[in-house]
Formats: sequence, C-alpha cells, structure tokens
Amino acid sequence: MSSKKRDFRDESEMPLSAVAADDMRWNKTGSWRNIKPFYDPKTSPCIASCPAGENIQGYIELARKERYEEAARLIWQNNPFPAICGRVCYHPCMDGCARGSLDRSVFIPAIERYLGDYAIEHGLREKRPEKTLDDKVAVIGGGPAGLSCAFFLAKKGFRVTVFEAKPLMGGVLRYGIPEYRLPKTVLDAELKRIEDLGVEFRPDSIVGKDVTLEALGQYSAFFVGIGLQTSRRLGIENENSKGVMAGLEFLEKINTGEPVEVGKRVVVVGGGNTAMDVARSSLRQGAHVTVVYRRTRDEMPAIEDEVHEANEEGVHFRFLSTPVGVITKNGRITEIRCQEMELGEPDESGRRRPVPKEGTYFNMPADSLLVAIGEKPESKMFEAVCSISSGLIVTDEYGRTSNRKIFAGGDVVSGASTVVNAVARGRGAAEVIAAELSGKQFDPKKTKKVVAIADLNTAYFLQKDRAQMQRSDGAGGRRPFAEVNMGLTCEQVQEEMSRCFSCGVCDGCDNCYVFCPDVAISRHDGTYTIDYDYCKGCLICVQECPRGILSTESEGK
Amino acid sequence: MQKVLEGNHAISWGAKASDVKVIAAYPITPQTQIVELLSEMCTSGELDAKFIKVESEHSAMAAVIGSAAAGVRSFTATSSHGLLLMHEMLHWAVGARLPIVLANVNRAVGPPWNIWTDQNDSLSQRDTGLIQIYCESNQEVFDTTLQAFKVAETVSLPAMLVLDAFFLSHTSEIVDVFGADIGKKYLPPFKPVDFLDPDNPKAFGNLTGPDYYYELRHKIHKDHLRAIDVARRADAEFGKTFGRSYGLVEEYRTEGAETILVTSGTITSTARVVIDERRERGEKLGLLKIRLFRPFPLDDVRRVLTRAKKVAVIDRNIGFSIGGIFAQEIRSALWNTRVHVPLFSFIAGIGGRDVTPEVLNEILDIASAVEYPEQETYWIGVKDEELSYTGR
Amino acid sequence: MRNFPIPEDELMTSGHLACQGCGATQAMRFALKALGKQTVIVMPACCWSVIDGPFPHSAVQVPVFHTAFETAASCAAGVKAGLDMRGDHETAVLAWAGDGGTFDIGFQALSGAAERNDDIIFACYDNEAYMNTGVQRSSATPFGAWTTTTPHPHTKSHPKKSMFEILAAHRIPYLATASVAYPNDLVDKFRRAREIRGMKFIHIIAPCPAGWKSAPEKTVELARLAVQSRLFPLVEVWQGKYYLVKKDLPYKPVTDYLSQQGRFAALSEADIGRIQADIEERWEELLRKEQLGGPVPGNA
Repeated sequence: MSSKKRDFRDESEMPLSAVAADDMRWNKTGSWRNIKPFYDPKTSPCIASCPAGENIQGYIELARKERYEEAARLIWQNNPFPAICGRVCYHPCMDGCARGSLDRSVFIPAIERYLGDYAIEHGLREKRPEKTLDDKVAVIGGGPAGLSCAFFLAKKGFRVTVFEAKPLMGGVLRYGIPEYRLPKTVLDAELKRIEDLGVEFRPDSIVGKDVTLEALGQYSAFFVGIGLQTSRRLGIENENSKGVMAGLEFLEKINTGEPVEVGKRVVVVGGGNTAMDVARSSLRQGAHVTVVYRRTRDEMPAIEDEVHEANEEGVHFRFLSTPVGVITKNGRITEIRCQEMELGEPDESGRRRPVPKEGTYFNMPADSLLVAIGEKPESKMFEAVCSISSGLIVTDEYGRTSNRKIFAGGDVVSGASTVVNAVARGRGAAEVIAAELSGKQFDPKKTKKVVAIADLNTAYFLQKDRAQMQRSDGAGGRRPFAEVNMGLTCEQVQEEMSRCFSCGVCDGCDNCYVFCPDVAISRHDGTYTIDYDYCKGCLICVQECPRGILSTESEGK
Repeated sequence: MQKVLEGNHAISWGAKASDVKVIAAYPITPQTQIVELLSEMCTSGELDAKFIKVESEHSAMAAVIGSAAAGVRSFTATSSHGLLLMHEMLHWAVGARLPIVLANVNRAVGPPWNIWTDQNDSLSQRDTGLIQIYCESNQEVFDTTLQAFKVAETVSLPAMLVLDAFFLSHTSEIVDVFGADIGKKYLPPFKPVDFLDPDNPKAFGNLTGPDYYYELRHKIHKDHLRAIDVARRADAEFGKTFGRSYGLVEEYRTEGAETILVTSGTITSTARVVIDERRERGEKLGLLKIRLFRPFPLDDVRRVLTRAKKVAVIDRNIGFSIGGIFAQEIRSALWNTRVHVPLFSFIAGIGGRDVTPEVLNEILDIASAVEYPEQETYWIGVKDEELSYTGR
Repeated sequence: MRNFPIPEDELMTSGHLACQGCGATQAMRFALKALGKQTVIVMPACCWSVIDGPFPHSAVQVPVFHTAFETAASCAAGVKAGLDMRGDHETAVLAWAGDGGTFDIGFQALSGAAERNDDIIFACYDNEAYMNTGVQRSSATPFGAWTTTTPHPHTKSHPKKSMFEILAAHRIPYLATASVAYPNDLVDKFRRAREIRGMKFIHIIAPCPAGWKSAPEKTVELARLAVQSRLFPLVEVWQGKYYLVKKDLPYKPVTDYLSQQGRFAALSEADIGRIQADIEERWEELLRKEQLGGPVPGNA
C-alpha cells in the first residue's frame, strides 16, 4: 500500500467502486496535538537520597543481569566502601525508594553489601590511572572522609599520602564500629583496594608531632578529615571515678582486642550510634545493660536498625532519664543517681528539649557507667591556617576552606554524622582539589529531575516481600562478636533486586510502544522514538510508563 | 434434457447450470421450493456449493454480498416481504458492484398477508440499481438465470430475475435444462474485478465524501446504461449457443398495429392469445412484452411505441397516486421523442387476481372506445355495483 | 524486560482517524498482530468505519469489507463460505463490530451465525454506547451511565446485556473476554480462536475517552480497572460449558474505576453499592460455572 494521499482528477482514474489500496500515513495526525510527550530519563529517588550519589538503580540493573563486577565498579565511582556501607549505613536510600509506595522499599544496603563482598571475594581491584600526575596531596586523617578523598584523588592520578594518628587506618570504621557490625577482615580488604591504587598509608603519624611542617611543604594540597576526637563529659559529680569511661575509649579497647572489665551491670548514657555500639558490646561482655537516655526512643539520633537490634539482643532502655551523680565506694562506682525528665519546647535541633522533673530522683546500681553523649573535634592545630567555628572547620559544600590549599570533610566539618556523608564529602573535595591543581574550572555535574512517586505506574509491579537476611546467634551465641547480619544469598539478592522499579531509567518494558493507539512509538536497538508526525498527544505512554520516564510539555497553539 | 419443472425448480436448475458456489437463502412462500431443491442438490453433491441457511433475508443478501466480495459466484432467492427486508442490502450490493443474482417470485405485499402474485415487491426495488428481468415462462426462467449471471458479471452489478407467484413458481412446464458442464460453454468462471485477497489487501466501501461519491454513482449509472447492450448481446449469444433467445423486449405482431398492448410476466402469455383472436377480427393490434425493466430498454421501447397510435399498458402493480409503474416508465421514455402517443394505464391482477382473456378484452375494449384516456388509471375489475370499472 | 511480548508486525498504521486515546484502535492493532496478514475483516457501521479512513485509503493492511450495520456476522459468514469455495481455508475471517453491531442491531445476525456455528471470529470492541453517532445508549451501556439518550437524571436504568451468557448459551466452540490493558492475553485469545473451527466470539473492553468522559491517557488504566474490579472479568468458555476464569489478578474496589469517568459522575452511594453487589454476585456465579464445567478438555 502506498502512503501518499491519492487524489483523483478524472473519473476514469477511479476504481469501479470505493476500493482503497493505499494507507493513511499521509495523514499527519501530529497536528491534532496540544501537549507533547517526550522521553526524559530521570534520577531515581534512591540516587537522590544517597548522600554519596551512588548510582543505585544502575548497579542494581547490572547486578540483575549477573554483571556483578561491573556493578561493584559502578559503586566505586562514588564510594570505595560498598562492603562497609552495605553493613553500617543508615540507608536514606531506602526511605527514598519508591517501592515503599507499593509494599516495602528495596533492601538496598543488602544488595550493596553483596556486591562489596563479591568484589572482595573475587579480589577485584580498581583500575590504576594511566598517568601519574606531578602533584602530591596530603590527607590528614585515615577515616572514611580522608580515605575516600585519597581514593578519588589516586584514581585521577594524584600521588596521595594519608597520615593517620592511630596505629591502623580506618578511623571510626575500625576504632568505633564493633566487629559484630563490621568485621575487620572486610575493612582491611576495602582498605587494601585503596592502597593498591598507590596511596601511601602513614599510620602512627600525628601531624605537627611525627610529621613536621617542613615535610608537608612537598604537598600541593591538604585534605583534613580528622573526625571528632574527644568524648563529651556529663559534668556530674564523681565522673572521674573508676568504672566511669568515655564510650569512644571503651570501643577503642574493644575494637583493638584490649581486655575491658565492665562488670555485671552496665549503664550506658546516650542515644546515638556510639551509645548503641557501646551497649551491644557491653552485652557481649556478659553484662546486663541499660541505656539511659534523656528523651524518648523517637528522639534518639541512632540509626533505627541499631536501636532495634540492641533491643532484640536484650539491651534495656530507660527513657526520659539522665544521670546527675555517681555514687562510689572506695573510689569505684556502685550506683548512679538519675533524675527523670519530661519533654518541653523544641531546641535548636528541632527535638523537644528534655526538662528535669522536680523531685524525681532514683538510683540505679552499676558496675560501669559508659558515657556516649557525643564527641568534640580537636581542631586547634588548624586555627592558624583556616576558619574554625565552634571547633568545626568551616567549608563550602565542596570542602573548600578559607585557605586555598586546605580542604576538609567528614565529622570535623559537619559535626557528628555518618560514614556515607564522610565518603561523599571526601569525594566532593577530591573533585575540587583536582580542579584547583589542574587549573581547571570546577563544574559541578548537572543533575536530572528526580522521579516523583506520582510519576510511576505501580500497576506493573507485583507485591513481593522484602528478603529476610539470615542472622547469627549474636550476643548470646558462642562467638558473641561474630557478625550478626549474615548477608543475603545469591538467590535472595536476585529476588530482592527484581523488586527494584528502576525509577526514571528505561528498562525496555515496551509499554509505551505497545499501548500507543497511533503506532507512533517505535523501538530500535533498545531505544524508543516517538514519531511526532503522528503522535496525537493522548499521553497514554506517559501514564503507562511504570518508571516515570516520559514527561510532557504543552505546545503553544 | 427435458424435464417437467415448476418455475421454482427451473430456478434451482438455473443456479446449478450457472455453477454457483455460494447460496444463502431464507424460506418464504412461494419461493421455498427453490431453496429446497437447491438444498438437496448441495447435499447430494450434484451442486458443489455452500448453502448458508441464514436467519433472515437481510442476512441472506449480506451473506452473498460477503461471498461475492470474496470472489465467488453467489445466488439467492426470495419473494415479497423477504425482498423488502433485503432492500437495504440490495443498495449495498449495487454500491459494492457485486454481480449477485437474485431470483424473486413476485408476491403481493402485506398487510394483509397475500401470497399471490403482483409486482409491487420487485418494483419497490426500482431505484436500487438492481438489474431486473421479468420472465414469462419456466424455460425463460431457467435460461434467464444464466443470462443474468452473464450480464451481472460483465457490468459488475447485481441482477434480479422475476417470475410470477404460482402462475410460474408452482406451475409445471416442460423445461429444457442442462448442468454446469454445459452451462460453462456460455458462462465462463467468474473473474472478479477486485476481491478480498490478503496477498493484495484492499478495503472496500470506505467513507467517501461528496468529492468522490458522485463519480462512483455516475459509474453505476453508466454501467447500467451499458448493461442494455450487454444484455442484448448476452441474450443473442444464448440464442446462438442454445437456440433460444428472448430479446430485451419482444414485439408480438406489432407490424401495422395501431394499438399496442404492453405487458410483462405471465399476463403476456394470455395477451398473445387475445391479440391473436382480435387480430382475426381485423383489429390492428400488437403486443410489446417488456422483459428487461432495469436498465430500461429505452431505444427498443421508443422504436416500437412511437409507431403506434395508442398504447395500452397493463400493470400488475400500483405506484400509489401516480398509477401503473410500467406505464409511468413508458410515458417517461416517450416524452423526449416528442411523439405524443396516447397512453392508457390499466391496473389489473393485483394481489393475484386472475387476469383472464375477459379482463384483457375489457382493457382492449376501453382502449379502442376512446381517442384518449379519460382517466389517469383504469383499475379493471374493482368491485363496484354501479360500474364495471372505476378509475383512479 | 518486556511486559507484553507481542508479535512485531504492524498491520495497522498511523494516520488513522481515531480520537486521542482510543481503546478501539489498540484492540485492532493487537488483534491483527495475533491473526497476521492472512486475515479478512468484515466491518459493519461503527467507529472503525470512520477510523479506517476515507476512500481511497485504509488504515489496516489486510482486506476490509465495510458492510451495513446489522450484517457483520452474516456478511462474514458469506465471506468465509466464498473463501472456502475458492479453496482458501487459511485466511481467517474476522467480523469486527462495536457494541451496537453486536448487542443490538447486529444481534440477529450474530445469533444466526452462532447457531449455525459459522467458521468466523466475531470480535466486539465494546465502548458501551453508540459512540460513532455521538454517544447514544446501547444495550451494552452499563447501569448508571450517562449517554445522550440517557441524560441526567434518567441515566441508564437497565443493566448491561450479558452477551457473554447469551453466547455461552449458543454453545459455540470458543468465547472469551479481553481487555486492551492485557495485550498478550488478547493476542493469545485471538490466536487460540484462529486455530478453532466454528464460531468464536471475543468481547473486548475498549474505553472511549470521549464517550466515557475520561482523560485520554487513562484508557489503559480504565481497561485494567474494569478487569481488576471484576466488572469485566477475563474469562474463556469452550462449548458453552467449560469455563476458565482468570483469578490471579489484584481485586480493586469498583469506585477506583467509576470515579475516573464523567459518565458515572451522578451515581449515588446506593447505585455504587448496587454495582458492587452485582459484581460480587456475578463473580460467584462465574466461579460456580467454572466448578460445574470442570477442567477444559484437551481437545476443546
């Protein structure tokens, strides 16, 4: 059939009756349209929610096709620590995950962990850059922020040295987070990957003491990621008694295998991740543990998972209470004196301020009081070289300080935060350092629109339960410090990944092509094209796209 | 071979001789014998055709339209209300240019129910574009079936052959018949101009605006006119092949006739006898039988009737208020000749009332009595105690 | 990962005259993909008579015979007889009618063809009113719907004629419902029908934004909700006896479906309750019939 419009000038040209041998393609029905659909791939909400901007949708898409190595490498473009973050992250990606609107959000950290472990098991290494650049960068602080910065700088070809005060690299990853959450073997494997890029690790090196300022002259730029060093004190009577310890100090001992005696009854003060780590570690020492917190569970800053697991393991909680004094005998703690609190008006953090209730005192017997009410930075040495405010180094969003050669990131800039935030900051700083040193203008990448849940069409997804991770015996088992969460199996991971909607990224489902009433969408080599000569603008394609990829714009008529 | 056949069975034989491939029909008195015999023929295999026993005449025509569109020779038969019910689809068959042949047994329309013969059913289809041929004998009926296919397939228009109820349909006569093996000497296999062919897909009957509909109708009109000669040649060829031909009209003893009687159908047979008798008595009478009614054989009718001094048309039908339909057609045919022949319009035989020699004599008496018709229409034999006939 | 693996060949082309978001065109496109080019369509008066385009053009690439409103089934029976007498037993004859040409004016011919077991596929794309002539009610119009001939407050007071039950009573070899929201189910059913000899009937729910007063982009969603609310269940019946009801689908409240169509805007709570109750009753009935018939025999 011909597609041209046929016109007859003479009756003799016409067939005997109304016989049609040509098609309708001359009729460009695109002229009927006043609103136009177009393919507009968007950022998945998980990616938008991840502080490190990991391409979660991307690595899930690769891993579903069993391209695990490529998936792991994709994570490394934003985060060198999938095996770590998959275990310890507070996973804001899950809060953003659109799957939650259908049943439950995708178990993203479990997938990330699987890929991180896969990379370790298979000895995968990051590719070394082709060229090594002349500039050397010094990273001060071997925690997640500094290590991340070192990783990304090394990938660009810079020569990096990481100075770490402690005997081993890792910072809070080693000295803060306990073994049952993050095995040291995993940490060491992730660290090795950074070393394999040519990064020089210098542990046992305190800047200003072990490392002279002259020695630092060879470096073109500096990244400061020293975190928060000192534990806050309660400021109560007899806080220096035996049996009262700072939470960080306790964790350091635990995490370096130093023996710690906590006795039979432990009281932990605080509501953050450190407090949870402290409580659960104490439990594993065989103690009865009570966490005393001045607000309620809802206000606790610790990751919900941690609180939940602590509770499951048998940690007790005493909310709306705070210690006001330590009772001792022979210089050793025997009891804690506490006061009840109630919630008043919100404070600067937005949470309701705890207010002591008059006359509500009570005692709790305790063999140890472990104080985990927050940490403070030790930034005095940097006061001379860049702006500090309330002890925190002042930077812009990319880690630039008031000093052109100095960059900073992690808790020393943000205050107490998370591993993934530190990693993100380290990478952000690596970008600006690289730009600065190469004399190039720094251009932050443009981001695409984020898919809104309303853009999706969940009719195409079946309800499916989230995978359940197997757990070890945990605190009560024969090896109390063995990793509690044991990861997902390969089958489980594949099942879990099949729950991912792939928001904003086309996976070739064909809906647009199938449902177009005007046959105006065609498919070639996995991409779809709208033929605007015929598209009437009914927008069925937009509506039926499960992933919210199509957007519309009106056409002025 | 010669057989004693009633008119209906002559039609069945005609369809068989024409090697029809699809038949769809619904029974109605007095057509039923046509389809009954065809049914037997299909069942026994002596006729290789599919017979769709449809659930109404409207569906019958729709079905043969479908089969003709698929490119095979198709046939149906009906009468009276069945034909009326087919009316919409007759238009469709014409517009679709499908050479279906339809045999219609002329039967009066109700209410009240009347199963006897008159021509209002077929004449109500006058403007559909259906070719119409009126038969006088069972032999003619058999022969005309084949001729109808030949004409229809040549001009791509459906054709209807008409026979009187009971006088032909149920009256046995000797008919010389043959089968498809002989029939194909005259009627080659059907080669459609266009048909439903997935290897060459086309659409038929799409929405057409005033810009092209006009020309498509003009084509039908032209092919209708063309059908006159085609019918003439088809009849002549039939004569050459089988020794029998009928013409589009038949002049019977019109030489020197001053008054020409015009008839159609079985009234013609009776008229022949009456004309003979009256000619014996010296009356200058002749007879014109109209066989092809649509397309109207204008030239033949003009040629014969302009020679007459009077024309008396007998209509076994009525176009209410205007009179006999054949009469109306003939008046109209004569107009542009500028020959003004006085034309008497007689109505007789409606509802199967017998048209006897007495009736014909009465008609001819009236026609000869006056120069000019004193009434638009003469209804012969209306029961009226005062008059032997009444007008209007 | 394709949601709907359906054949690639396009036998319906762009440029047709359907309204934006027309369900009837989706139905045709899928049906033709299933049946292939060895098909002849017989099309009575309906929206598709216009959608197909004006002479001398046609939007489908198979032969089409446009016929009078009442005659889809009878004309199709004739076409099939003709093709058979030509020696062509391969070409499928598809009568493609709207609800008018199926439920009302076309019903006699349909019943006749069904009773004779004529070897055709009769597909009804049901947009639940005489849409081509401007949204007048048909016997397929559901209870409570507005049309131009059932204007407020006298919206349709009779229930939708159950064509399904009527044709099951004719005991035709194969009868199925389908929805444009489930394209490969629709394709499978047409393919199945093509393989069966005798009369086949496929009833497709084809939303019409213009007549249903719904947004054009919601056509597929409405076709899906019609099924998921069980207002239009997906069922197959062999020989009028053996039922197969598709049950593994989400079950949505009928209000999800009704609320998106302006034609149901005037439904009262009582009306909706009645509709919901009717759905449940019919669903139970379908399941009972499925039980009664037992499993579909292999040679069905």
